[in-house]
Amino acid sequence: MIPFEALLPYGVIIIMFGVAGTGMSAAKLLREGGNKPRVHRDAWDKMMMERDMRLTREYRKQSDEPIAPEDFKTSSVWRASRIWDD
Amino acid sequence: MTTSKTNPREPHSLPYYIADNTQLPSHIPSVPEVGATSAPLLSASYFIGARCAPYNEDFMLCRSQSRTGEVDCLKEGRRVTRCAISVLEDINKNCQNEFRKHWGCLENENHDLSRCRLDEAPLNACVAKFLNLTKVIPDSDGTPINVYETPSFFQKKVKAKYEQ
Repeated sequence: MIPFEALLPYGVIIIMFGVAGTGMSAAKLLREGGNKPRVHRDAWDKMMMERDMRLTREYRKQSDEPIAPEDFKTSSVWRASRIWDD
Repeated sequence: MTTSKTNPREPHSLPYYIADNTQLPSHIPSVPEVGATSAPLLSASYFIGARCAPYNEDFMLCRSQSRTGEVDCLKEGRRVTRCAISVLEDINKNCQNEFRKHWGCLENENHDLSRCRLDEAPLNACVAKFLNLTKVIPDSDGTPINVYETPSFFQKKVKAKYEQ
């Protein structure tokens, strides 16, 4: 019979892995508003998520209203980069 | 630029953002924009396609044939927007709970339609009953979507729910 003191380190290791995993998962859920994180985002997904941000002003908040608020019509931005002609 | 044989890449610099708050000119009739975000839009996309197919095809044809892109096709674009808004309004009026469950599931599953079949079946049934819109893959022979794509362990559950 193995004394319980010998199994304590295993318990410590398992608990530490558990805490780390739970903490990571909880942090991700907090960030994503209760959903699993989005993976394999391609250009389409990035474009749609940027549009969602313009509509709802919150990361990953969805809305199913048929009609958008009035300021959505002019809230899009173009990304430009400076070009120097030296 | 500073590209050369040894450096074939354009130099990058930090982007800056251009925003423009000017409204459209008043001779263009103003139309409300679609207010649905990505998950509800994906959920309703096949129903929008079922009802708005003629307007969408009109717009796509006009845009591909015009030389200046969407500027020549504003009228067809307005029709597309109004039709999509009408579909969303009808779904919200009649099938809101099933709709919300489905797009809630999609938002949790990385917008993967094959992972949300359990919530899709009641939505399809409700929309077929109240709006007479069926989900059909375009350019196919019109057979109904295989709702039983889920693993066989869940097929009995899906069947029971679907045939309620």
